[in-house]
Amino acid sequence: MKKIKTIYITTAIAILSVALAVGIYLHYESRIAELTSMVDTLKREADHLRSDLSRYRMITLVDDHGYVVNLTSYPKRIVSLAPSNTEILFAVGAGDMVVGVTDYDDYPYNFSAWIKAGNMTSVGGYWNPSLERIVALKPDLILASPASVEVADRLRRMGYNVLILDPKSIEGVLKDIILVGRATGRDVEAGILVRSMRERIDSIVNRLSNVSYRPKVYFEVWSNPLMSAGPGTWINELIKLAGGRNIFEDAGSQWPIVSSEAIIQRNPDIIIFPSSHGIPRFWGSFEEVKKRPGWSSINAIKNGRLYVIDSDIISRPGPRLVDALETLAKIIHPEIFKSQGGS
Amino acid sequence: MEHRLERIYRRRLRRYKAYLASLTVTLLFLLLFSLNLGFSHIPPADIMRILVKRIPIISGFLRLSDVPAVEEIIIIQIRLPRVLGGALVGAALATAGAAYQSIFRNPMADPYVIGASAGAAVGAASAIVLGVGYVIFGVNSIPIFAFLGSIVTVLIVYNISRVGSRVPVTTLLLSGISVSIFLSAIVTLMKVVAGDRLHALIFWLMGGLSYIEWRDIIGVAPLIFAGITVIYLLARDMNIIVLGDEEAQHLGVEVEKVKMILLISGALITASAVSISGLIGFIGLIIPHLTRIIIGSDHRVLVPSSSILGASFLILCDAVARIIASPAELPVGVITALSGGPFFLYLLHKRRGRYAL
Repeated sequence: MKKIKTIYITTAIAILSVALAVGIYLHYESRIAELTSMVDTLKREADHLRSDLSRYRMITLVDDHGYVVNLTSYPKRIVSLAPSNTEILFAVGAGDMVVGVTDYDDYPYNFSAWIKAGNMTSVGGYWNPSLERIVALKPDLILASPASVEVADRLRRMGYNVLILDPKSIEGVLKDIILVGRATGRDVEAGILVRSMRERIDSIVNRLSNVSYRPKVYFEVWSNPLMSAGPGTWINELIKLAGGRNIFEDAGSQWPIVSSEAIIQRNPDIIIFPSSHGIPRFWGSFEEVKKRPGWSSINAIKNGRLYVIDSDIISRPGPRLVDALETLAKIIHPEIFKSQGGS
Repeated sequence: MEHRLERIYRRRLRRYKAYLASLTVTLLFLLLFSLNLGFSHIPPADIMRILVKRIPIISGFLRLSDVPAVEEIIIIQIRLPRVLGGALVGAALATAGAAYQSIFRNPMADPYVIGASAGAAVGAASAIVLGVGYVIFGVNSIPIFAFLGSIVTVLIVYNISRVGSRVPVTTLLLSGISVSIFLSAIVTLMKVVAGDRLHALIFWLMGGLSYIEWRDIIGVAPLIFAGITVIYLLARDMNIIVLGDEEAQHLGVEVEKVKMILLISGALITASAVSISGLIGFIGLIIPHLTRIIIGSDHRVLVPSSSILGASFLILCDAVARIIASPAELPVGVITALSGGPFFLYLLHKRRGRYAL
């Protein structure tokens, strides 16, 4: 009996141990499976994170019209569709990336000579650049302007990276310089440029802060018909910042056609004419201006306060707007800025 | 007698067919030739390969891997829509010219001269200023607005200049030109009120073929094909209408109805063309006249030949506009006006005091 009992117990123990072993095995196997799947999940997660990281390395840019451009690397071939865009690109030190400019680009270098020499490619005009030339340049970034919004739209739909620079204020220009700096990996250079521009603007604003005298300024955009600059133009904003009052700041449009009568009646203290490189002065000479019928009664004529300013620096939303501001400040308030040297 | 007439008719029909066939070959040749023109030099062999690649079965027999991607983009996305767009616009304007000339029974009628183009321009400009371009149902609504402007203008000019059932040259030109001037003043006015849309408006007003893209073509091609087909189907009636309303009535043609259909079709295709290319003048004047000089004024050949010849002519003008001042591009309207203006004056001089169709 005892023997049988022993057999039972042994069997029971054996069964139990086998069961235990199986149980343990099953337990660990499920754990192992669990762990393996966990490892797999972690691996997948890691891959995910890694690709996410590359996404974080991407540069996300938002242009002035709200379009988003994602760059995975810095551009090597940039096409600029406006003289101001080209000026910004060269000012932040990204000039070597520029492969195409418009026929009107002439600063900081004589690009038409470059184009003739084959070192630069023209993409056509400011208003109607050639799509084919842009595409043939294989650009990886295109900087458009308000004049080329439709072309930009078309290029965007073709899959190109396009940023529209359309600043509405000097602050907007500074923002665009930073944007171009980020797009080209020239963040530091752009930051330094913007800071120096801001300092120069602040210095003028500070020196004018106690001045209550605001001379009336007439800016002649065109002579036949007489055309001036109204609200919403760089000219208007800069005259105001330089301590003057644009006599047509209340005009209904950006480039109002004005009457000689209105100019005589508003009696400006200062008259400013634009000049452009290589283009004859459409307004003639100061002597001819003084002879315009009825103009002898205008304060500016009586006091001989007629001036000329480079029209490019005052009309292009680029780094040279500050030069224009300094020149205007010297013209409008010589009593304050005469000591300052420079252009 | 009858036998002889039949023989003449047969011979003439053969001549028509040969003429139309040679015109078609010319058009195809010009299409391919024009694809070769452009800033970047792309070998003709590459162009052929890029084009053939799009045809499913044959493409299997070709080696395509060595064509650069940029060349393909330039050909397929930039040059091809431009050339096809030019063909469509040219065909539309020339066919509309042929239709207007028979309705007005006046050889001076042309979409540009009678104000149909200016009317379409006002319609299109208001669509742009209102900003409804591709907004409504994702369809390009500019042709619809252009059509409304065009049809209203044509009806006004037609009714002002009509004297009885005839439209004399003087009243047609005077009313057409004064309405056009009035309408172009409205477009100028729109520039002032355009505000944010000013750039889009100026861009469209500059016109030309250089920025035509596929979605423009897809939008207007069905309209232009439909309009041209309708006009072609009415060619027989047009032959009779030019004899005079009464004669046509006697011969069983419902004159007013046919004229109305022709007016609407003409306005439709003019508007479609104007909405993608802006204003391009004189094609509707030159092309039907060229056909008349070459082969006669049977509308059964005049209408299709105007379509094909108009397409070829505008492609040719665009090619000239691209080459003549290279690297700069002239607006194609300059070339058509340079060739069309003197021709118009010549016609006016030749047909002083009388008119024949």
